[in-house]
Amino acid sequence: MATLAAATGKRKIKLNQNCGRSLFWPALAVFGIASQFASPDLLLAQSLEGVRQYGEFPLVGSRVAIWVAAQVHLLFAAFVLGVPMFAVVAEAVGIFGGDSKYDKLAKEFTRLLLVAYSATAIWGAILSFLLVTLYPGLWLYLTEIFQVSMWIYVCLFFFESFTLYLYYYGWDLWNTGRAKWVHWTLGILLNIWGTAVMFIANSWLTYMMSPPADVTPDTAPGMVQFWSAFANATWMPINIHRIIANVVFGGAIVGAYAAYRFLVARTDEERAHYDWMGYIGNLIAMGALIILPFAGYYLGREIYEFNQQMGITMMGGFMSWLWIIQAFLIGVLFLAGNYYLWVGMGRIPGAERFMPYTKYMLVVLVLGVMVWATPNTMIADREEIAAMGGTHHPFLGVLGVMSAKNTAVNLMILTTFLSFLLYRRANSRPTVDWARTGTIVQGALFVLASLIVVFYGVYGYFVPAIVRIGFSVYQVLAVLATIIGVITIDVFMLRGAESRGDIRWGQMPPRSQYALFILAVTFTWLMGLMGFARSGIRQHWHVWEVVRDTSEYAATPALGYAAIVISCCVLIFFTLVSFIFWLGGLAEKGTKASADSVAATSSTQGVS
Amino acid sequence: MLTENLKIIGVVVGTIGLFTLVANSIPQVQSEVPQDLSFGTDVTAAELTASGGLLFGSAGGCTACHGLGTRAPNLLTSNGSEGPIGARCGDRVTGESCKEYLYRAMIEPNVFLVEGYSPIMPDMRRSLSNDQIWALVAYLEAQGGEVTVTGADINQEGEGEAQTTMAAAPVPAGPTSDATDPLEILRANACLGCHVLSGEGAPIGPGFDGIGGRVSADYIRESILKPSVAAAEGYEAFAGLMPAIYANQLTAGQLENVVMFLAELR
Repeated sequence: MATLAAATGKRKIKLNQNCGRSLFWPALAVFGIASQFASPDLLLAQSLEGVRQYGEFPLVGSRVAIWVAAQVHLLFAAFVLGVPMFAVVAEAVGIFGGDSKYDKLAKEFTRLLLVAYSATAIWGAILSFLLVTLYPGLWLYLTEIFQVSMWIYVCLFFFESFTLYLYYYGWDLWNTGRAKWVHWTLGILLNIWGTAVMFIANSWLTYMMSPPADVTPDTAPGMVQFWSAFANATWMPINIHRIIANVVFGGAIVGAYAAYRFLVARTDEERAHYDWMGYIGNLIAMGALIILPFAGYYLGREIYEFNQQMGITMMGGFMSWLWIIQAFLIGVLFLAGNYYLWVGMGRIPGAERFMPYTKYMLVVLVLGVMVWATPNTMIADREEIAAMGGTHHPFLGVLGVMSAKNTAVNLMILTTFLSFLLYRRANSRPTVDWARTGTIVQGALFVLASLIVVFYGVYGYFVPAIVRIGFSVYQVLAVLATIIGVITIDVFMLRGAESRGDIRWGQMPPRSQYALFILAVTFTWLMGLMGFARSGIRQHWHVWEVVRDTSEYAATPALGYAAIVISCCVLIFFTLVSFIFWLGGLAEKGTKASADSVAATSSTQGVS
Repeated sequence: MLTENLKIIGVVVGTIGLFTLVANSIPQVQSEVPQDLSFGTDVTAAELTASGGLLFGSAGGCTACHGLGTRAPNLLTSNGSEGPIGARCGDRVTGESCKEYLYRAMIEPNVFLVEGYSPIMPDMRRSLSNDQIWALVAYLEAQGGEVTVTGADINQEGEGEAQTTMAAAPVPAGPTSDATDPLEILRANACLGCHVLSGEGAPIGPGFDGIGGRVSADYIRESILKPSVAAAEGYEAFAGLMPAIYANQLTAGQLENVVMFLAELR
C-alpha cells in the first residue's frame, strides 16, 4: 500500500495496482465494471506497495522539469488548436466570398500548423514521460480515474493527425466544386477532433483543481465516479477560456510570423501579402482578446463557487501581486495592439481625418492601465501596513478596488473597439441615405455604454460587495451590446460604400511590425503566467485537498522565481517556433523552385 | 537580413527581460507548506502561540481574509471597541469559553458568522491538522487575551463536539526556561520576534535599543505584564498584538532581570 500524502498522519490514499494492466477489451470491461463494486478492502489488498512517489531531475529539479515540459507543450498545443479555427473561417470566406486570397491565406495558416504539429506531439510525449518518471504516484492516481478517457484521447489524436494531413495535402487537389466543400468539411472535422482532445486533457488538469466534493483523501481512486471527475466544477469554464485564448494566441503567433516575413521580404508583392497577413493575425488576436476577460470572469466565478478559499488565495492571497503583473501585461497588449492599428492608418487613404483622436484614446488607455495595475488587497506584514498607514493605501486604495478596475478595463475595451472601427471606416464613404443617422446612433451607443460603465463603477463604492459584484455584469453587457450593435450598423452602412482609395498594403513602417512581435511575446508570457496562477492556486496539493504534494517542491514559489521559469519557457518556444517556421520556409522555397523549374521546362518544350 | 534578425531577437529578448524584471521587483511571497505539528501534553502556551502565529501568517492562509478587514473581521486589531480577538472571543457565545468558541469557529465556521460578512470560511479540518487548529486557537487567544489551550485539549480523545464541551478553566503556562540571563530570557520567550535589539529581531513593536532612556522600569514591567493597557507611540495600530502571557510564563526573578536589563539600555 502506498501512501501518497499524509500531512496529518491520518489522510492516506490507496492506489490500485491493476490500473492499465489488462490485456484485452472484454477483460477490461469486466474488470472496469467489477472494480466499481469492489469493496475498499479488496482495493486495498490490490494496492501498490513500495512504489516511490517522486523522482528527481538533474540540475533544475522535478518541478521545473515538469513545469517547462507542460508549458511548452501547452504553447504549441494552443497554437495548433487556435490556428485551425481561423484557417477554416478564412477558407469559408474564400469559398463564399469568391476571393482566392483568403483561400491562399488559409492554406498558409495550415502550413504553419503542419510544422508546429509534430513539435506539439514531441512535447506531449516529453510531458508524459516526465510525469511517469518524476511523479509516478500522481500519475498512477490519475490513470486509475481517467484511463478510459486516455484511450479515447489517443484515438482522437490519431484522427486529428490524419485529418490535418488530408486537409493540408489535399488542398490543391480538392480545390473546386463539390471537392472543395469536402475539403472544407475536413477543416471543420479537424477543429472538432482538436477541441475534443483539448476537452479531455482539460478534464485531467481541472480535476486536480476542483475534484468532486465527495472525493476525500480516503477515497480510493478506483472508487471515484468517472463522469463526476471528468465534468468537474472548473472543466467547462476552462474549456471556454482556452478555446478563446487559443484563438488569441494563434492570431498573435501568425501575426509575428507575418511580421518576420514582412521585414525580410524582397519584393513589394511579398511585403504587401505579409502586411495583410499581419493585419489579419492582429485583428484575430485583438478581437478574441476583447471577449477573453468575460471568459476569465466566468472561470474566476466558478473557482469561487467551487471553493471560496481557493478563490481568495488566487485573488487576494499570496498570488495577489500576480494580478498586478497581469494588468501590466494586458496594458502592454492593449497599447501595442492599438499602436499597430494607429500606425496602420498611415497606409489608408482617408484615415488622416481620424488621426487627431488617437491621442485621446491613448490617454484613456494609459489611465485605464494605471487604474487596473493599482494594488488593493495585498498581503502585507505589519511593517508594510505601518508604512502604508493602514491595510489600504490612503490614496491608491480607492482605485485598487474592483469597481475602479472593472470600469477601467471596460473603457479600455471600448477604446480598442473604437480604434478598430475607425481603422475599418477609414477609407470608406458610406452611400446609404441613413449614413449620418447611423453614425450618430453608433456614437450614442458608445456614449451610453461609457456612461453605464462609469455609473455602475461609481455606484459600486456605495453598495455592499455582494451587490457590487452584480454590477460588473451590467458593465460587461453594456460593452458587449455596444460592440454588437455598432458593428451590425457598420456592416449594413458600408454595403456599397465608395472607397476613398485602396489600402497601400506593404507600405507600413518597420516599427509597426515590432509591435506585432511584442504582442506575440506578451501573449505567450501571459499564457505562462496564467498557467502558473491556475496551477499555483492548488498550492501544496496535487489534487486540491485530496492528494497532497509531499515532495521537496511542495511549496508554491514566489512570482519572481515563476517569472524566470516562464521566461525560459517563452524563449524555448520562440526558439523552436522560429526554427520550424524557417524549416517551413525552406520547404516553400523548394516547392516554388520546383514549380519554376517545371514551368521553365514546359516553356522550353513549347518553344521547341 | 542579419540586422533585421538581430533587431527581432533584441525586441523578443528585451520584452521577456522586462517582464522578468518587473515580476522580480515586486514583493516576493511564497506559499509555504503547513508544517506537521505534534504536541505532547506538556506543550507550553508559548510553543503553541509561536506555532499558531507562523500558521496564521503563512500556510494557514488566514491573512488572505482576516488581515484585510474587508472579507472577514480583522482578528489582530480592535473590532470597534471590543479589542482584538483574544479580548472579545469569550463574549461571542454565551456559555462557551474563548477557546471553545475559537475551536468551533474553525471547524464549523458558518455557525458563528459575524454580522455583515459572507459565509466564505472553509472548515479548517480540510487543510489543517487538529494540532494545527489548536495552535491557531492559542495564537488567537494570545491576541489581547490569555492563552488557555493546553496539551490536554489537543490530545483529548474524540473530536469536534466532544472537544468543544471541555472545561474551559485556564491553565497557567509555566516558564519556558529557567534561564537567568536577560538576553537568554528574551530569546527563549520570543520577545525578539517583535522587538529589535542590536539588530536582532523584527521591528513590529518598539525597539529595545535605548528603551531605558525613553521609559521607566515601572513602565516596562507594566507593559510586559499587561501589554494591552497602553500602546507605545507610533505603534497604536498594533495595540493588542503582544500576548498577555508573560505574567504566567516568567518567574518573578526572570521578570525583574529582564526589566532591569531593558531599563539600563540607554
